[in-house]
Amino acid sequence: MTPDDDLAAAEFALGALSPAERATLAARRLREPDLDAAIRAWEARLAPLAEATPPIEPPADYFPAIEARIRSASAADTDPIIRSLRRSVARWRMGALAASAIAAVLAVGFGVREATHERIPREYVAILQKDAASPAFEVTVDLDREEFTVRPVAAEPPPGKSYELWIIDPRLGLPRSLGVIGEGARSASLAAYDRAVVENATYAITVEPPGGAPNGKPSGPPVFVGKLIPVGP
Amino acid sequence: MTIGADARGGGTEAGESDLAGLLRRVAARDEAAFKTLYQRTSAKLFGIVFRILPTRDAAGEALQDAYVRIWERAGDFDAARGSPLAWMGTIARNRALDEVRRVRPSSMEDLPESFEPAADEIDPLASRERSEQLAALIACLEALEKEKRSILLLAYYRGASREALAKRFGRPVPTIKTWLQRSLAQLRDCLSS
Repeated sequence: MTPDDDLAAAEFALGALSPAERATLAARRLREPDLDAAIRAWEARLAPLAEATPPIEPPADYFPAIEARIRSASAADTDPIIRSLRRSVARWRMGALAASAIAAVLAVGFGVREATHERIPREYVAILQKDAASPAFEVTVDLDREEFTVRPVAAEPPPGKSYELWIIDPRLGLPRSLGVIGEGARSASLAAYDRAVVENATYAITVEPPGGAPNGKPSGPPVFVGKLIPVGP
Repeated sequence: MTIGADARGGGTEAGESDLAGLLRRVAARDEAAFKTLYQRTSAKLFGIVFRILPTRDAAGEALQDAYVRIWERAGDFDAARGSPLAWMGTIARNRALDEVRRVRPSSMEDLPESFEPAADEIDPLASRERSEQLAALIACLEALEKEKRSILLLAYYRGASREALAKRFGRPVPTIKTWLQRSLAQLRDCLSS
């Protein structure tokens, strides 16, 4: 942390950074506890200003919508793994939103039969991470749009290497590649996978030579792993 | 436009400690407490996000996201680091800022339509009810030059970008950036003295 970093933290808390600067700082604070602490300190310094904001009564239909969202979230609360993942999501999703401005995005077709749309959450998120403190990729599955999106949030591949995303499930046998991250769209459809597999599989990132694993198999152990959890209403 | 006095002013000791108690119950997944918390704070938080995102849809989304996050993170609230309302307001404001910087990436040629200098300027210096923290901050704000103070406050309350501020005040963007940084540094030094 430099004195400049403290000023950047101040401008972040104030909200005056450009989108790119904001996204960069949002990604950095995930990895730099000092910077994160500086931003929090600035938020606390400025927060009393909000006292002077005149209240505006929000429309009455907001609270039922919020209640529905927290209840669907609570349904997954019984599973301790999901609970801890959910906390991770909550902690850094704000950063992920901001970081999306600089994030390379890989979108692949996601085929889901219409009939399976009923009574399932519309959106799933997996946080792929080394440990709870260092989320690195956000994988989002949007069932309505049939989209599957990967956002690197705070991770850059080692120089001269690529990150490759895999879907891993006992029912599939070997890990299957979902594509190299950061190379734009790639025609790897998930239609081939059963919805139960998509929902329950482990998602993993490996470090590969540029362009991806040479023979379709991971070259080494995953550096980031995670499972999908429902976040949508 | 109804809201409890405690939430309006950021206010009384009792009001704030009630909110802290509600947050503790929310952390324990008490939905009734969450509803009470919402009823007592939502107008305040909506006031914050609506000034940054002046359309109902965008402000509504941000407000709803903020309360879902408050529900999820209530256990993280730490009274030693600020008041419950300050904590919740920061969550709501950050959500709105993420959105405004995403939706209006770099053009930002204008402040929102409703942005009229005289119409709805918030002047904390005029606020009669002040917490100890706000009083300290105001004392430091008063030491800034008037124009620089206005710029800082517009950035805070409206989420105004440097570009928008440059246009509004007829100053080059780098000047705005420098002024903001100097003002913030001055505030930090003043608050710690």
